Amino acid sequence: MKDENSNTTTADKLLSEINSPATDSRAKTRAIRLAMSEFTQHQQEKSAASANKNNRKSQGFWLYLRPISNFFNRKKTMQIVNNKFLYSGLATLSIALVGTTLFQQSYRTNTDIQTGALTETTKKLEDFEDDINVNRLSTEPKAAPLATAPLPESISSELEISHLGNNQPAPLVSDRSFNNSTGSSIRKKIENSSEVRQAKKISLEQGAQNDKAHQTTYSAQGRDKFSTIKTNTIKRVEEEPVSTFSIDVDTASYSFVRRQLNQGVLPQKNAVRAEELINYFDYNYPLPENKSRPFKPSIIVRPSPWNQGRELIHIGIKGYELDKTKLPRSNIVLLLDVSGSMNSQDKLPLVKQSMSMLLDSLRPDDTVGIVVYAGAAGTVLEPTAVKEKQKILNSLKRLNAGGSTAGGEGIQLAYQLAEMNFDKQAVNRIMLATDGDFNVGIRDSEELKSFVERKRDQGIFLSVLGFGQGNYNDELMQTLAQNGNGIASYIDSLSEAQKVLVNESTSSLFPIAKDVKIQVEFNPDTVSEYRLVGYETRHLNREDFNNDKIDAGDIGAGHSISAIYEITPKDSKAKPASDPLRYTNKQVQAEPASLRNEYGFVKIRYKLPEQNSSQLISQVIKSNQRTYSRELVRDADFASAVAGFAQLLRGGEFINDYSYSDVIETAQENKGRDEFGYRTEFIQLARKAQIANEM
Amino acid sequence: MTDLKGEASLIKQAQSGDAKAFEALLNQHYDTLFRFAFKWCGKREDAEDIAQQSCIKLARGLEQFRFESSFTSWLYRLVINCAKDWQKNQARHSSSRLQENTIDKNAAEESAQGHFKYDQGFETTILVRQLLNQLEDLADGMKETALLVHAEGFTHKEAATILGLKESTISWRIHEIRKQLQPAFGREAR
Repeated sequence: MKDENSNTTTADKLLSEINSPATDSRAKTRAIRLAMSEFTQHQQEKSAASANKNNRKSQGFWLYLRPISNFFNRKKTMQIVNNKFLYSGLATLSIALVGTTLFQQSYRTNTDIQTGALTETTKKLEDFEDDINVNRLSTEPKAAPLATAPLPESISSELEISHLGNNQPAPLVSDRSFNNSTGSSIRKKIENSSEVRQAKKISLEQGAQNDKAHQTTYSAQGRDKFSTIKTNTIKRVEEEPVSTFSIDVDTASYSFVRRQLNQGVLPQKNAVRAEELINYFDYNYPLPENKSRPFKPSIIVRPSPWNQGRELIHIGIKGYELDKTKLPRSNIVLLLDVSGSMNSQDKLPLVKQSMSMLLDSLRPDDTVGIVVYAGAAGTVLEPTAVKEKQKILNSLKRLNAGGSTAGGEGIQLAYQLAEMNFDKQAVNRIMLATDGDFNVGIRDSEELKSFVERKRDQGIFLSVLGFGQGNYNDELMQTLAQNGNGIASYIDSLSEAQKVLVNESTSSLFPIAKDVKIQVEFNPDTVSEYRLVGYETRHLNREDFNNDKIDAGDIGAGHSISAIYEITPKDSKAKPASDPLRYTNKQVQAEPASLRNEYGFVKIRYKLPEQNSSQLISQVIKSNQRTYSRELVRDADFASAVAGFAQLLRGGEFINDYSYSDVIETAQENKGRDEFGYRTEFIQLARKAQIANEM
Repeated sequence: MTDLKGEASLIKQAQSGDAKAFEALLNQHYDTLFRFAFKWCGKREDAEDIAQQSCIKLARGLEQFRFESSFTSWLYRLVINCAKDWQKNQARHSSSRLQENTIDKNAAEESAQGHFKYDQGFETTILVRQLLNQLEDLADGMKETALLVHAEGFTHKEAATILGLKESTISWRIHEIRKQLQPAFGREAR
């Protein structure tokens, strides 16, 4: 009851706290000017009207002489007016009748002509109708080619792509690179990666054990869990010309870093994933011309701000925006953690608030179900249409954190609910909101992972929203979202909820391409070394690229993704990081001159959401193209500032004496329009990091 | 405000067609119009639209002011009507609710950046906007009642004169709003 009171007073207080901004003098003068002209016009009309009134008065005298006097019964006049068609019709009919009888009797020949003319007009009328029919017919085929048009185009573009791919001497290069030494290095790498996987598995198991430990204490502090990231190092093109990774559209890392910095603490290194920081921001890369291809790569080469003589290659992708009126229906099941650990201002209350924001961005015929786990395990709300918003809000309202973590079958229940309401045409998604207590029913992390994976293949996706800190299990959340074809976001504030669930709701909810992988092959003739910034957790093996069975990241509608490579061109004065090898075979086949101005070749594989075989897009990285649109350069430079920031937070091994003030300066210069203020916020964060770093 | 008699004579002059007097009136009251409009919609651009509409409407409607109530309360009623009309128009223009939500909100964010920092103020804006949305969903007449009483700080009696209702109706409405408002707002804007 106390709760009730505080609620309402908050609402009252909130209303009383709306301070409207000062009036804009321009808007004011504009409004006044418009009103003044209206005023004068009105005055003129008034005087004109009053003049008219006088005129009418003088007419009044003749009123009695009118054929129909409306003096006593105005209703009657109106009736006549209303029936004018009837009266005029009757009149015409009678005239026609009299006319035809007259004609028939006296002028026989004349009537013949008359009827002739009549039949001619009827014929014309018929023709006209035919015309209309033809028109109607002709509009239909017009619409039909529109619908089919993109198809042949997509075929041709695909042909073109494969054609392009054949033209490239790519196989040649890869053949050449398969000399003995690299072959063994690749084998080694495979071994390494399997080691890494095992290590990961172990850490996951540890995670599960730790979870058990958590159940006893709720005041968890400093137990945020992140997987260890080994920063990408500089690679020699001669030894490893190909770099492969999966895209990553998550932004959880940025929100977590922001939270830490806002508390005046530098985040732990493993919490910083450079790609997630970069992709937090929206970049205006050009959109694809037609929708048969969901996106188009933009490649920008800029001088590196970190090392003189090196260059940055930005690979930018922007997915097309879905037509807002034609979005598929959403079938969403919220799986909410209500365990005792959620009992904190920035957890369950924020979850509730965020979910009601999500409701605002859904449409009336979407459905929402709610399942909770922990003390009150079970279905709180059967799938309900968003039309009945009040009902959904009421069930959200009733939730409160507490009780023991009773395990339960939270996640199975959520999937059951989603399956119950499964709609092939719709986007079926489970949204898990938690602070890291993954006590969702399946204990073993590996089992949980494969469970999510199986359900993904059935068409139910999983997104994860992280809340709170102290107990935050980033590692498992990332794994789950990746395996569930969903996003992992970290909600630290209402504004972040607004960003993820309202402003970007279409990208968060509707995938346009899945399993998107990028492979870049560098040209050893022009590039000596390269380094990929970020994407450490998304590394793929070279052969995974063409293997459609290997899962990768997904792109939502309107998402923009950037990847940055720092390269050392062959002809640059910058000293390569590692010495050249003495014994490797240096005899390189002479390349055709046309390849001399290519830094490399980008290939992107993706699947359309409902398909299981991938498609390929490829593009050349030109070394001699240096002119781009101003907007593109601005975005690229901003992205490199963010990348620099991320590397600084991770220790700055490869960026020389690049500092926070450089970050701030570059970001400030390239802020652009910054509609939502995210970039401005980034600059503030960089300042906070600078201060925290100095302390 | 300083002298009511001066204002009354100004209104009379404007009613009889004096453009200067009308302009002076607008200058005096534009701020009130805008402020209340902002509280109605929570977005600067929209508030400017509504205020402008109200000014234009005032040009034609001023002569209907009969000095039966105070001029400001008469103005409030005008703004409320304009705001409602404007909202109807908005609803007609944006075909789906989703579109309205996202696009409008985008525009709003842009404008909100002008006077809200990203920390607490920004969060409050979001909360306020949600609250306004919820008031929208309540029965007809609830929103203006809530705004007049809570946001403008009128007593129930004053609000009653503005809306042309009985004082008891206002009290009942305020009570009803309290009952129906979403407890989601239990989350304090610390």
